[in-house]
Amino acid sequence: MKSKYLTLLSFFVVFTMVLMGCAPAATAAPTAVPAQPTAVPVQPTAAAAQPTAAAAQPTAVPQPTATTAPQPTATSAGPSVVNFVTDSDTNISDWMANVIAPAFHAAYPQYTLKVTIVRGIGNGDQDIADRADAALKANADPQVDVLEYDALSEQQLITDGLWETMDTTTVPNAKNVLKGIQTSPYSMPYRGSQVLLAYDSTKIQASDVPQTFADLITWIKAHPGQFVYCRPDKGGSGDNFVVRAIYEVTGKDPTLFKPGAADPALLAKYADAWTLLRSINSAIYDNGAYPAGNTQSLTLLANGSVSMATAWSDQALQALANGVLAPTIKLTQLTDVPFPGGDTMLSVPKNSRNLAGANALVNFMLSSDGQTSVVKDIGGFPAVDWSTLPQDLQTQYTSVIAKSVPDWPGGDYDTALVKGWYDNVATNIKQGS
Amino acid sequence: MTSTNVSTLQSSPAPKRKASPLLAYLLIAPPVIIMVGLIFWPAIQAVIETLVLTNAKTGALSFSLQNYIGFFRDPILRENLWFTLEITFGVVAVLFLVGFPLAIYLRFSKSWIAAIVQVLALFPLFVPGVILAFAIIRFLGTHGMLDTLLRMLGSTSFSTPYLHPSGIVIALTWDNIPFTVLVLTAGLRQVEDSVIESARDVGANELQVFFRIILPLVTRAVIIVFCLNVIGVFGSFTLPYLIGPAQPMMMGVSMQQTYNGYKDHIGALTQAVISFIFCASVGVVYVRTVSRPH
Repeated sequence: MKSKYLTLLSFFVVFTMVLMGCAPAATAAPTAVPAQPTAVPVQPTAAAAQPTAAAAQPTAVPQPTATTAPQPTATSAGPSVVNFVTDSDTNISDWMANVIAPAFHAAYPQYTLKVTIVRGIGNGDQDIADRADAALKANADPQVDVLEYDALSEQQLITDGLWETMDTTTVPNAKNVLKGIQTSPYSMPYRGSQVLLAYDSTKIQASDVPQTFADLITWIKAHPGQFVYCRPDKGGSGDNFVVRAIYEVTGKDPTLFKPGAADPALLAKYADAWTLLRSINSAIYDNGAYPAGNTQSLTLLANGSVSMATAWSDQALQALANGVLAPTIKLTQLTDVPFPGGDTMLSVPKNSRNLAGANALVNFMLSSDGQTSVVKDIGGFPAVDWSTLPQDLQTQYTSVIAKSVPDWPGGDYDTALVKGWYDNVATNIKQGS
Repeated sequence: MTSTNVSTLQSSPAPKRKASPLLAYLLIAPPVIIMVGLIFWPAIQAVIETLVLTNAKTGALSFSLQNYIGFFRDPILRENLWFTLEITFGVVAVLFLVGFPLAIYLRFSKSWIAAIVQVLALFPLFVPGVILAFAIIRFLGTHGMLDTLLRMLGSTSFSTPYLHPSGIVIALTWDNIPFTVLVLTAGLRQVEDSVIESARDVGANELQVFFRIILPLVTRAVIIVFCLNVIGVFGSFTLPYLIGPAQPMMMGVSMQQTYNGYKDHIGALTQAVISFIFCASVGVVYVRTVSRPH
């Protein structure tokens, strides 16, 4: 019996080791769950790091590591290399390397794109930006031409004069960029993601779909258990729903919330938002059960537990494209003030060895071809005005086109939002008891 | 002749036993240094940080229990602590209810099915926590496998444990079964068959055999399992994080929330010290049980 047990046990061990060894993506994917699928800079991704560290998984290292250091630009004999560095998820790096690179080379034969992935290496893009800054001071090669990075992440680098100013003189296509999403002259948004309402069209008639936030609240109360949004710190789709509630009680004026220190008068208004959200708490799925992430909300929608949920546009569009969500799931946006979203930025260090190539790349990303690819290939939101895109794309996405996208500054406003939500909306304890 | 042989036998000295204790200390020095440097010293620093308040104006340091008073005054944090204790003792109770019969079966069964049962009981060791969480969500969620099966059998009253405390209990129990079963089986192996047989010979039934013969003999193993499971479940993070409700939270999730979500460094440290005090007291019981001679 003992040897039988031993052989069975060893077979099991070997079998599961092989399974685990063959599926690193499966264990890596859940680590990305609490954060957004693409690197939206506004959202805290530190929370995503915690569960993996605590779980102490056997395969702890996620997907591909960085390639070797980018080569210096070639001589005049061949096309010069433009070094692009990103720490976004694999869907973005695959898209850049396999779709954008050939298209870029076709549009600008004198340049070729080299994609370097730094996801999972230290602090990702932040380290690359710091290295470029050190190179600036030492007069060395920063080894990057275009970085997927928001210059506002670190004030020190702006003070050091690391970044090139990006406007219509350096990047002509910047004239088409949506108003208000370029938050600093040193970074150019090139793809975005909005939070949308995803609903099951077999359960909800098109005429019953709520158009405004007030309509949405009425709908939720009329259909208890059919709507869900995730916890605000665990997923941006839930966070931006709560932000939209805050906009609702502060006069629907997103421009009131500016980056920097939080205005105490505005923070005091949060209490009204908690009252509003508390009023729908028992009408949320399973009597107020809030899932812990974007993916979980979509899962509940996909398996029919709810008929409407908030979702990131790119995540929803990709899920629709690969069949995770049935084609009967439709997307819509509020018509008064839309749910906020996030944009991913490109920054160019001034000491880049191929400044012309870098600007050409950013220009290409903002062109009609580049932005169409953003919508079609990765389900992203364009950073340019929809009217500059092909007509058929505009028709296809007509229900989600927003004229302007509110930009939530995050920071102190977000910290107060998270604490306030947990303490006042999610809990069953009366405050002050 | 024989006497000399005997005397040489008797007088051949044992090898030099004067190995200096210095060698022993040198051998254990590296792990002790690592433990002190990476665990004890930061822990002591953290405790001091929560007990010493700096006056913002004068910069003067003062000893104060304010952080802890604040913790126990906050109804939400109190509920988190109480919730954690409830879940911990609930999970450990279920673990004994499930693990003990399994261990007894594995100890006394001679059939080949027992080998399969043992492998199955050890299977959760090989499943990472995050994978388990998603598997449970798929299996026990609304419209999940269990729900579908029950509907096929005609029952529609299934209420999912996902995002409820019962979900945490199920997940943590499943995760800790291998350890419980292993240690209990090892403890039971020290109960010899002859003891059981003699008890049966004098007419004891199953329950009497269990409570009056087996249980007193495996007390040590039971206490070990109890202590280590309590400590493990109390501080667990991944499964409560993914499966549990938004409120109340277990201490591990609450600490992460306080540190990352609310950016409250001292608050998280306070919760950590309180958790540590609880787990350390249980740890004392464990150490005393383990170091007591049989």
